[in-house]
Amino acid sequence: MKALPEILKEIRPEFDFAASSDFIADGMLDSFDMVTLVATLDKTYGISIQGTDIVPENFKNLQTIEALLRQCGVQL
Amino acid sequence: MAPVSTVAEVFDAIQGAKGGASAFCTNFFPAQGKLQAWIDHGELLGERRHQATFFLRQDRDFWHLYFCASSVAVLRQEITALAAVKTERVAVDLVGTEAGLGELLAVLEAAGFRRYARLVRLARPGQGFPPQASVDGAEVYCADESDGQAILNLLEASFDRYADQLPTLYEIEAAIAARQVLTVKSEGTLAALLFFETQGLTSTVRYWVVDPRFRSHRFGSAVMRHYLVTQNAVRRFILWVMADNENAVLKYRHYGYVPDGLTDWVIANKMTRV
Repeated sequence: MKALPEILKEIRPEFDFAASSDFIADGMLDSFDMVTLVATLDKTYGISIQGTDIVPENFKNLQTIEALLRQCGVQL
Repeated sequence: MAPVSTVAEVFDAIQGAKGGASAFCTNFFPAQGKLQAWIDHGELLGERRHQATFFLRQDRDFWHLYFCASSVAVLRQEITALAAVKTERVAVDLVGTEAGLGELLAVLEAAGFRRYARLVRLARPGQGFPPQASVDGAEVYCADESDGQAILNLLEASFDRYADQLPTLYEIEAAIAARQVLTVKSEGTLAALLFFETQGLTSTVRYWVVDPRFRSHRFGSAVMRHYLVTQNAVRRFILWVMADNENAVLKYRHYGYVPDGLTDWVIANKMTRV
């Protein structure tokens, strides 16, 4: 199973996600990327991230995305 | 359709459509700031149907339609029941890879829409751009608030309202305040502009245009070069362009932009033909 940094790198290979604490403010993920990421996470981890959770706060950085995945039952 | 009054309503409605669906489909990718502005200006309507939610955003004399559905089959069934599709001018943007959009295009076409325009996204890496000696008579300035109406007039005269997501005057004024509209003027008249949005490491050119009366003065080149030189912290430049506008695509290629694989099919209903 692909790890989260690998998934992010596939979506936006030009950015160093580990170096950012706010992907949205840093312009590394836009709203379209976010929906692409949700679809990839749903498929990769066999989950369904709720629409109410698709908000920028949950996609700010690696930690907040991992927290969201745990909330959806993913064991990281 | 009922007016949407809060951002929370939007997310709640999306959740209603998404639920536990594994085949969720949507064309709604709103940035929160834009969503709030649409709501504040009373431009957004919403309708929740069985496992699908639709939003209409008013734009001049037509509506942009956004959908969120638990599956393509649900979308196919529910979109035909939307009254607005039969009575109003409606345009829909479908964004994705060309190969991935076929099924949605078929659903929309079966519901009475036709292919209106295709845009492709171009991107260039944020490598430095060499400064160039200024072009005679082409000083580049950030637009000021008195330029708003002239900018709107030039955009409306130069672009397609159904396909190009033209800004409203309030959006132009916000961009001017954020110093994101570059202009060249000739004897006080707006001759060229570049309207952009920079968010962190990514910058999007929304509109780059030269007034036809001022073509061949290199004003377009001046404003683009100024943009690329001054946005030196940007790592990723992107823009959308009409796929069949070969002249524009060639110009963007000249500045290092190349297709990144994303397509936006603009689909319009028959009411847009009248």
